[in-house]
Amino acid sequence: MNFNIPCAVKGVGALLRDRILPEIGDNYAANMARMATSVLNISANWADNAAALRVAENAAIRALLGEAAGLAQGDLSDRLAEAAKSADPGLRVSELDAESHRLRLLLVESQAVLELRDDAAAREMDQRIWRLLEEIEMSRAPVE
Amino acid sequence: MEPRIAKYLAHRMPGASQIAVDELAQIYGGSSQQTYRLSARWTEYGEEIERRLILRRDAPAGLVVAERDLEFNVYKALEGQGIAIPRVYFLELDAQWLDRPFFIMDLCPGKPGNPFSADDPYDGHSEAIAREFWSILGRLAAIDHKAVGLESLRNGTANRLFWSLELDRWEALLSEQEAVIEPSIRGALRWLRRNPPPEPAKPAIVHGDYRSGNFLFTPDGRISAILDWEMCHVGDPIEDIVWATDPFWPITRHLPLEEGLACWEAASGIALDRAALDWWRLFAAVKASVIWNTAEASFISGQTSDMTIALSGIRAGHFHRKLVLKLMREKGAMG
Repeated sequence: MNFNIPCAVKGVGALLRDRILPEIGDNYAANMARMATSVLNISANWADNAAALRVAENAAIRALLGEAAGLAQGDLSDRLAEAAKSADPGLRVSELDAESHRLRLLLVESQAVLELRDDAAAREMDQRIWRLLEEIEMSRAPVE
Repeated sequence: MEPRIAKYLAHRMPGASQIAVDELAQIYGGSSQQTYRLSARWTEYGEEIERRLILRRDAPAGLVVAERDLEFNVYKALEGQGIAIPRVYFLELDAQWLDRPFFIMDLCPGKPGNPFSADDPYDGHSEAIAREFWSILGRLAAIDHKAVGLESLRNGTANRLFWSLELDRWEALLSEQEAVIEPSIRGALRWLRRNPPPEPAKPAIVHGDYRSGNFLFTPDGRISAILDWEMCHVGDPIEDIVWATDPFWPITRHLPLEEGLACWEAASGIALDRAALDWWRLFAAVKASVIWNTAEASFISGQTSDMTIALSGIRAGHFHRKLVLKLMREKGAMG
């Protein structure tokens, strides 16, 4: 079966834009329909690599958490090391998002500790976390 | 809905008869509340009266959690204070009339400018409008909120640390509905707490969403009404100044910042501490990110199907998270 989500969603968006929108007389409804086509297009462009993108993000966060474990102490160090060895629980987007949230919480916790330290290693790790956050944001940019 | 509004008007105006409501139309653009324009006619003391009105009703869900009577109370309090605002008539909190709380006010002349338009959104009057925009904001900052009965606004009894109170508010809102935590926003929040701004010269009424797109202008190039006061509170007046210059809707497209600030200083009588602008720029980007996060959460949860809210969560959310990261990079966070 070749039918897939991006294809279906883009098709519905095109139908809305080309056939339905011109027939809507009410200004408010027409604006909603116009914006709905944008939402559909962005969603379609996100759908194909949604899982791959999240798997890559989670792996990149785990790698940094593993390195941060070496700089942290006590319980936090243990939890970071454990998270670095963990794996995604599945490939559903909802599962990957839940795992992302768990890993990001640890990233927030470790960064809050690192940024209060004055040594070069902590500063470098903090900066690497910020750079990863920038990469993640850019990779999730909406495309119409 | 027209008969229900007519019934409500009859309830509020017992001296009126032959009440008719028509030409009801929802206005595109209101996201925190549903906004309708309508025409109402009635006879009172033998006189036929016709009014073009606006009805603002709570949305099932929106961009921000608005206090229901806040906007109405602000409009009431600012009547006669030199701020262009619509006259308000009735506030109704009882859901029996229109399912959700609402209020009714005058339809002001003029139209909004689209801040995202590549052309002049103010029909050739952009510079004059920008000057008036800054002067009105200056006049707002000069008003004593206690003297006009707005002590009940958020932070209304505080005298200092407005930056901290506002950070607490936005961080709490974020924590309420963030499904996947954004470490960049959390990192920016921590930076803001570690590097507090100077205290304001005086507490001011802060509009909370003072920007291009939230006011009406008339063909002669004047601002006829400042709208959308749902996020009004008391705080540092720089919050509104920086919000207005945010790169998502910058009024500085139409007038250089320093000229705008000069208009603001002349109208407010306050010498602006420009050293504080930088802190509030990051704050504005964080605040906007929280608002878009709320929008996204409202849509995902099914509380709303409004496409403005969905697109705000997607496009504007990305824009402001990217801005937060850019500002943090400029502060050296990335080496």
